[in-house]
Amino acid sequence: MTGRAWLRRLWPLAPVLGALVITSGLLLLFGVSPFEGFGALLQGAFGTEAKVLSVAAFWVPLTLAAAGLVVAFTAGLWNIGVEGQIVMGAVASSWLALRFDAPRPILLVAEILVAMAAGALWAGVVAIFKTRGGVHEIFGGLALNNIAIIFTNYLISGPWQPPEGGTFRGTVPFPEKALFPLLGVSRLSPLSIALTLGALAAVYFILRGTYWGLKLDALGRNPKSAFLLGVSSEREMILAMMFCGALAGLGGSVRVLSWFDSLRQSISGGIGFLALLVVMLALFRVVLVPFVAFFFSAVLSGSISLQLRTQLHSSLGGILTSVMVLLVLLFGDYRQLGIFGSRGGKALADE
Amino acid sequence: MSKRFLFRLMALLIIPALLLSACAGGTVEEEQEFVFGVVLVGPKNDRGWSQAHYEGGQYVEENMPGARMIVFESLNPADKPEATLEGVVDDMVADGAQLVFTTSDEFEEDTLGAAEKYPEVTFISISGDDAWAEGQDAGKAPPNLGNIMGRMPDMKAVAGCAAALATETGKLAYLGPLINFETRRLAASAYLGARYCYDEFRGMDPDDLEYTVTWIGFWFNIPGVTLDPTEVTTNFIDSGADVVLSGIDTTEAIVVSGQRADQGERVFAVPYDFVGACDEKPEICLGVPYFNWGPDYLETASAVEAGSWEQEWEWNKAAWDALDDRTKTPIGWIHGPGLTDEWKADLETFIDGMASGDVVVWKGPLNLQDGTTYLEEGEVATGQQIWYLPQLLEGMEGPSK
Amino acid sequence: MHIQLQNIHKHFGDVKANDGITLEFEPGKIYGVLGENGAGKTTLMKVLSGYHKPDHGTIVIDWTDRSFFSPADALAAGIGMIYQDPLDVPSMRTVENYVLGRSGALAVDLGKAEEELTAFASTVGFEVNPRAYIDTLSLGERQQLELIRLLSLGADLLILDEPTTGISADQKEQLFNSLQKLAGKDGKIIILVSHKLSEVQELCDEVYVLRRGRKVGGVTLPATKQSLVSLMFEELPKRTERASYIREHTIMQLQDLQLSDGRILVGPLNLELHAGEVLGLAGLEGSGQQLLLRACAGLVEAESGKIIIEERDMTRFGYHKRREEGVAYMPSGRLEEGLVEGLSLTDHFVLAEPQHGFVIQRERYQQLTEERIDEYQIVGQSTSRVEELSGGNQQRALLALLRKSARLILLEHPTRGLDVRSAEWIWQVLFQRAAEGAGIIFFSADLDEIIERSDRIAAFSGGQMSRIVTADQTTTDELGHMIGGEL
Repeated sequence: MTGRAWLRRLWPLAPVLGALVITSGLLLLFGVSPFEGFGALLQGAFGTEAKVLSVAAFWVPLTLAAAGLVVAFTAGLWNIGVEGQIVMGAVASSWLALRFDAPRPILLVAEILVAMAAGALWAGVVAIFKTRGGVHEIFGGLALNNIAIIFTNYLISGPWQPPEGGTFRGTVPFPEKALFPLLGVSRLSPLSIALTLGALAAVYFILRGTYWGLKLDALGRNPKSAFLLGVSSEREMILAMMFCGALAGLGGSVRVLSWFDSLRQSISGGIGFLALLVVMLALFRVVLVPFVAFFFSAVLSGSISLQLRTQLHSSLGGILTSVMVLLVLLFGDYRQLGIFGSRGGKALADE
Repeated sequence: MSKRFLFRLMALLIIPALLLSACAGGTVEEEQEFVFGVVLVGPKNDRGWSQAHYEGGQYVEENMPGARMIVFESLNPADKPEATLEGVVDDMVADGAQLVFTTSDEFEEDTLGAAEKYPEVTFISISGDDAWAEGQDAGKAPPNLGNIMGRMPDMKAVAGCAAALATETGKLAYLGPLINFETRRLAASAYLGARYCYDEFRGMDPDDLEYTVTWIGFWFNIPGVTLDPTEVTTNFIDSGADVVLSGIDTTEAIVVSGQRADQGERVFAVPYDFVGACDEKPEICLGVPYFNWGPDYLETASAVEAGSWEQEWEWNKAAWDALDDRTKTPIGWIHGPGLTDEWKADLETFIDGMASGDVVVWKGPLNLQDGTTYLEEGEVATGQQIWYLPQLLEGMEGPSK
Repeated sequence: MHIQLQNIHKHFGDVKANDGITLEFEPGKIYGVLGENGAGKTTLMKVLSGYHKPDHGTIVIDWTDRSFFSPADALAAGIGMIYQDPLDVPSMRTVENYVLGRSGALAVDLGKAEEELTAFASTVGFEVNPRAYIDTLSLGERQQLELIRLLSLGADLLILDEPTTGISADQKEQLFNSLQKLAGKDGKIIILVSHKLSEVQELCDEVYVLRRGRKVGGVTLPATKQSLVSLMFEELPKRTERASYIREHTIMQLQDLQLSDGRILVGPLNLELHAGEVLGLAGLEGSGQQLLLRACAGLVEAESGKIIIEERDMTRFGYHKRREEGVAYMPSGRLEEGLVEGLSLTDHFVLAEPQHGFVIQRERYQQLTEERIDEYQIVGQSTSRVEELSGGNQQRALLALLRKSARLILLEHPTRGLDVRSAEWIWQVLFQRAAEGAGIIFFSADLDEIIERSDRIAAFSGGQMSRIVTADQTTTDELGHMIGGEL
């Protein structure tokens, strides 16, 4: 491989490097040594076993939502509503956990399924608004995000409020058997890891090897041509959104059944929006999603230690990741540079 | 080759950054350090609840040699979905914290877990009741977990009294956050203070006093989620209330009342939580009840350092003779510029009565909102009865649940 | 302005679109660039206009080496290109499109721009309505607008890629007059990329002929058609003589069909198409022939009346349903409607063929694609992405994508932009389909093509369909009158 080819290979790392430089500058501006800062960040993410587990536990819903988004993006859809779909998944799981009694395995499976169904339904509404009502999915999604959050608040302060009265926290803790089995004292469940890996594999397989995946790809690239080639745009669009919603809903389920133990006021807290950034930084490729999501999770978790150690605001982690995404969007225009092939990575174009 | 140029530029940028960072290292190690952590639910400069705790921590740093505070702000799932109390506590303990204050009832359950995980560290769960031997959750807390709370109902009674002195329409309004034991007891206490003073100093029938509570749904305005406190306050004044008492973290009550006063109406307000809250509109401010965590924090920190701390559920009374002395009292009241000298004199009398025990507002006969008896004739409410007030009281208008 | 292209190389994957081309252009002259499809004409022009970067070679302007990073770069240096498929922004007004792409004050004075636009247009000899929406304009009008825009931005060299395809005879005459004026009076360089020899002979001063990515000759006009053809092709293509394949069986029947697209009303139409029949639709663009074709495909809903295909009433069937029932439709847009940029040829066949199960059997489709590549003589590979193919090969790919089982084949401009030999080849394929019993309806802007290829012909004018004439008994003159409204 020639030097130029290596440079092309490594080019995607440039935004990462750039973001490190910019945040280093910020740290210096506040009188903190970047070594100390990033050291604290690393330690905060990986310093102890508990921290690693916590990073992994946060990684789960983020990755699930991002994997779903890859499918929606492939079909050319901006599923901003993913945040609301996470919330609705969480609400649906909570409903079963609070109101139903069954043997643990049955209850868990039911909770997972109902969460996926709720997320899919919520996404389906956005999609039908788009295909039937001509409402762009960004606007529909934003509206439904809001409704989902208001709905949660209503439930927490209304029908599902704890007997001692409404509090900031949320519902009463669910019974033990309604919750995912956890690894030790962590918030990570082996079950959610398995589900996430399964979801990633499914998305990879769908986009690589199935008719449906190819149809979505065609739809995302050129809806008119795809239609003429026989792709039913409306149906596939709705299905793509619903698929994304199902994975997001699953993420919501993980959030209430393992991260928390009850339905909380901000059950997602922007994980859906983070997932959008993850997908962009992952160049819309599902194989990169778990790694980028892990990076996000580590940086965000690590910035807790950064804040405690340096007494700087902990949004530094957020700044780091956002700057990275921004730089990727600015300079990493890989398709024009011709560094990567098509999204499925089928052919390498020599510009 | 613009792209290659950028690449070079980045390389040029990163080298000085690395050099500078290499020179910047090296922090000063202090000897005999006492490290304590404070976990806040909101930002440390929120002009309300969280800021009061942060200032409490600063007070410890100022008054205890070698004390160092580690703060973590805005620990709530909306701001930091990735952060957990355990994680924050892990870091604080790793950094040497021997004492951790968790300053929201939202942290109550997770603080229990953290206290079990680190038995050698002392935890103070603010506003919790796990360490209360007579409380509903008695026996839950491990021995290294304590609770601290100021007896805010007393200050709310003072606030209610001030409102009763000022009203001419006989209509008072209470801008409530969400409904729970704490908020019910505060709204009720202000009502009882108002009744007492309306009768005692105004010579009016307290049953004629109208007292409306509206809960907006949260501690501050969340557009689309809570009621808009600005609108609620406007409605209060439109329906004849001339004193608005605030129970929420933000300043809408005094701001809106101030605007109406500017338009020539006679309205007053009693803000809440933050010492400086009257500054928004001093001339209509009757005073402000506030939390002052410094003295309790200092006492706890000193006890922990000396090894003499014991588990306790503290519901600390005010230093009645020094309600505006921030080195002494855990809760306080500051007279607002809106008080006339006459009102001020009456209010002082009321405060003296509360201090001496001559004035007891939580005294029967009192009925709950649904008409059931809460206190018999002459019966004085116990701590549990006040803490776990199940409903609003008869005479108060507004939902109990 | 004086321009030299020196040793230009441009490869797409394995396809050598330009393989060391050297050309020179002098001011005040009109140049023709000739070549059959895939000869590298369009690629070369895209290199010159900054759309592609050459792999090797240099562009020399006034004896200075230049390299362009974008079409805007090239335009700043005075080089403007009008593409075969106009690239303007459809849902804008003409004047808005006109002010696009110019720097200056943030606030746009549309009123002033309108005056400027109208004035500019009249100097070139065009008439434009600055307030019209672009998507309501005909192809010819869009082309004029683009020309005016480039000139107003200071273009000294204008490249026109197949400019006369899809525009009316009047518009063509206007265009040629203005081009002659621009070269003769204003000293601009005009480059005309075309495969229509008569036009090149009519307009150009010099002709460069390309074949397979190389320059094979330069001719100063006038020159005989014969000499140009022999440069372009190694041998002369023959005109076809063919038998009629018409059978008794009726493929499609239209009964009192009425259509509307909001601008024109079409119908009521009554029509029968027999198996093996080729029906050509003539008419100026936007006269209703496209609407009819799309209605037959199920892309446009009928206002009233019936469409009966293979004895079944399919009026209410959508496009996909009809496709399953044996209706095939080939649009004219290629990369806009038809092919999906970024996907490989194999991917296209996977999409177009009936689905088997859930998982794609790659080898199967790979094989199928390679068979079709051979069969349709597509220059490219099964893994080639469609945008890497030349226009002619894209057209062949579209044809290859029509299902073999199709009984009714609907074609828009089946040979637009193709050279004589490619066009001939495509028609041989289509006749084969007709011989097998399919009914074919097509429309084209090229009257000769309609007369030569059809069995029967109908003309459209303002939404009305003419009487139907038999192709071997009609004349260009008769058709011309029908198109003009003598139905």
